[in-house]
Amino acid sequence: MAVITITESNFEQEVLKSDKPVLVDFWASWCGPCKMLSPVVDEIAEATPSIKVGKVNVDEEGGLAQQFKVMSIPTLIFFKDGKVANQTIGVQPKAVIEQMINS
Amino acid sequence: MERYDIAIIGTGPAGLSAAITAKVRNKKILLIGSALSSDKVVKAHTIQNYLGLPSVSGADLGAAFINHIKEMDIKITEDKVTLIYPMGEYFAMQAAGGNYEADAVILATGVTAGKPYPGEEEFLGRGVSYCATCDAALYKGANVAIIGFSQKEEAEVDFMTEYAAHVTYFPMYKEEVHVKDGVKVLYEKPESISGTGFKADTLKTKENTYSFDGIFILRDSVSPKQLVPGLEMDGSHVKVARDLSTNVPGCFACGDIAGKPYQYIKSAGEGNVAALSAVSYLDEKRRARSNI
Repeated sequence: MAVITITESNFEQEVLKSDKPVLVDFWASWCGPCKMLSPVVDEIAEATPSIKVGKVNVDEEGGLAQQFKVMSIPTLIFFKDGKVANQTIGVQPKAVIEQMINS
Repeated sequence: MERYDIAIIGTGPAGLSAAITAKVRNKKILLIGSALSSDKVVKAHTIQNYLGLPSVSGADLGAAFINHIKEMDIKITEDKVTLIYPMGEYFAMQAAGGNYEADAVILATGVTAGKPYPGEEEFLGRGVSYCATCDAALYKGANVAIIGFSQKEEAEVDFMTEYAAHVTYFPMYKEEVHVKDGVKVLYEKPESISGTGFKADTLKTKENTYSFDGIFILRDSVSPKQLVPGLEMDGSHVKVARDLSTNVPGCFACGDIAGKPYQYIKSAGEGNVAALSAVSYLDEKRRARSNI
């Protein structure tokens, strides 16, 4: 499934009210580690039709970052039924991300 | 991007020896580190147990290593790798001078002298960060401390002033400090980080206790666990098998980083083993691919 861009205006619709669990990647364009993680998140999006995958640019969406206490990027937050089910900070191996969305 | 067969990180005896063996086995290698071998070699007074070179000075041994490398036509890329990420089929590497890709990686970076501060790892990502450029924007208007271990981190300190309201800098080196006006420079030795519940908020030095919203620690070398996400450790060393493989397929470790004793000839020997193991790994991978 294609990765969607999450903003404050579509957050409620796309994440909180989503019928599928949502993996959200908090990133920024100047963050090197985020660039490393990004293609892996894309691969997971491609290979896992059962979830939705979105990206939040913390530079443009500071409010969302603040709301979810994101203090270091990359941060991945996995939402289930509109609630934070799990989260990882920093660059993580693909297996760890897969485990997070499958547990 | 150019894809190497084997990337070797470190130019002490382990890394150089691995490079020579990999080159003999005709692999396309990327060797990253100091062009003058490691400080630990060249600054040694005398070494008495290096086979074939009785009572050699560190400077002479280092020069002999580098001559060997030059004679084999191996290039040393002077760069600093900050992240090695297993992408599945290959490794993506992020360095100060750019990004690289390789099918296998040999870690030969030596032992990191800096131990984490108490509380540092516990609060990593929750008020403690290793990357000022990454996380500066998340500390807009905040009160931030930066602990820097070399002069080149001063650029990061200046960058932080564009976001944070207050920046306090703790330089951990002897050279003169040049940072923007407004940065408070404290010559105190940090000792521990603590917090309340979710987030770190306190930095204790030998002399005082300070409150901060964020604490950035910028070291010269990152710990192996930070360098390769998912890498299994055994204390302060990388956990290796007899063939110097790690728990990350395609990633090998040799020399001091793989454990004691810290001896030059042991490191050189392990470099050889790690390179041969990496070659076998690549061969097997190629065979598996051609069978599909």
